[in-house]
Amino acid sequence: MIEFQKVTKRYDHDVYALKEVDIKIEKGEFIFLVGPSGSGKSTFLKLIIKEEDPTNGKITINSKELSKLKEKDVPYLRRKIGFVFQDFRLLYDKTVEENIVFALRVIEASEREIRTQVSSALKQVGLEGKEKSYPNQLSGGEQQRVSLARAIATRPPIIIADEPTGNLDNVTAKEIMESLFEINRNGTTVVVVTHDENLIKSSNKRVITLNKGRVASDTGKGGLI
Amino acid sequence: MGTSTYLFKQGYGNLKKHGSKTFSTMLIICATMIILGIFLIIVINVNHNVKTVTEGQGLQAFISEDHLEQESVQEIARKLKDVDNVKEIIFLNKDDALLDAKETLKEYAYLLEGLEKANPFPASFIVKFENLQGTENVKKAIESIDGIYKVGYNETIMNAVISVADIAKIVFFGIGGVMVIISIFIISNTIKLAVYSNKREIFIMRYIGATNKFIRRPFVVEGTLIGMGAAAISWVIVSLTYIVTYARLPKIGSTLGIFGFVPYSSLWYIILIAFVILGIALGVIGSSISIKKYLKA
Repeated sequence: MIEFQKVTKRYDHDVYALKEVDIKIEKGEFIFLVGPSGSGKSTFLKLIIKEEDPTNGKITINSKELSKLKEKDVPYLRRKIGFVFQDFRLLYDKTVEENIVFALRVIEASEREIRTQVSSALKQVGLEGKEKSYPNQLSGGEQQRVSLARAIATRPPIIIADEPTGNLDNVTAKEIMESLFEINRNGTTVVVVTHDENLIKSSNKRVITLNKGRVASDTGKGGLI
Repeated sequence: MGTSTYLFKQGYGNLKKHGSKTFSTMLIICATMIILGIFLIIVINVNHNVKTVTEGQGLQAFISEDHLEQESVQEIARKLKDVDNVKEIIFLNKDDALLDAKETLKEYAYLLEGLEKANPFPASFIVKFENLQGTENVKKAIESIDGIYKVGYNETIMNAVISVADIAKIVFFGIGGVMVIISIFIISNTIKLAVYSNKREIFIMRYIGATNKFIRRPFVVEGTLIGMGAAAISWVIVSLTYIVTYARLPKIGSTLGIFGFVPYSSLWYIILIAFVILGIALGVIGSSISIKKYLKA
């Protein structure tokens, strides 16, 4: 599903963000990607959505080699990946429902699809009844759920969550993680970038650790550090 | 609500959000269009008069006395028709020439009486041009035709008309070009404001998988609406001004005897089409420039 083969990303002045990274993530896997600041986690995410290109190596998503992807096809690659941000990135002048409709409009979904997907996504993250609320009227955890609903509404096969619990308390963080596990149980591949050791320890999921641009450890499927 | 309606609403929403800025931009674009419209009207009128002069002007090719037999005249006529830029030829025989001279002299026509038997006026061809460019070459070509001994040609009027037409076009394209560039700059600045205030939305759109076309469209709609609004206002102002001015123009035209103005009825749609095209072009180009840097993949 996601494969990095000897991927190197070098910025100006010989600064290496990633160095010969080999990572293979299978369809339906749940992965924690961890590592200190500057370890290359953000670069890894930017490469997956082709916001940046590697200096060397090959990246394959859904059997498609990204270097062969034309610029005009990049949006269609991104439609296969739902993104969840640490700071939610919601539109605060739109209601919960409108935020999700917005995502579906962007991918030019039909009116029927929009109706079905909005209620299904809200149900999946447990936000039924909050359709008409504005993000400011919701708690942090609820806002992150809206962000999750927006990511899954377009039914992408991959979800990438960048520090999804970074701004939340422990209880809420666990709830969000539970939602991500649930999404994964439905067959979606999930990659979670996090600093939170507690979340990782209690989950029994595969953990890939990056350090100084290299894979420092990989527990493999269902592994513990 | 379909995607198109959604995009239109977004564009219209941006317009409303920056109401005063939108209005001032529209006024500046109006100023450009009005100035361009005035120049366009001048060009149309000059062209109209150039055409009238072209149709009326020509040269006179005089036939020598030893080429007056029918076959020679026909041969000359054939050669004249072959010359580039010749629209039509009219044959004036010696009797016509005498009659013409009498008409010109009016009350002094009696001076020419008795000349019918030994008519000194030469037969000639009046040659009309397709256009006034390159008439000098026509003159040279006709002079070289066997049987033509002289060519009468009023260079001064023709050169003056050509110069006026050329200057009008140069001024139109010169000033017009500069004003269009300024307008594009102004419209793109206004839309930059909308782009900036929608930065967050654009960022999310790109992550979700919006195509560049989808991101660009609301801003193009906004730019086009500004352009079309300015086109409508400018058209009304220019039209009213021309109608009022035209009502006073025939007096000037008849006094001068040569210069006629194009009536509004054959002008309004040209101005309207030009303004609408310009409005759309300014909107599309201006907005595309302002959104460009946000469309990196």
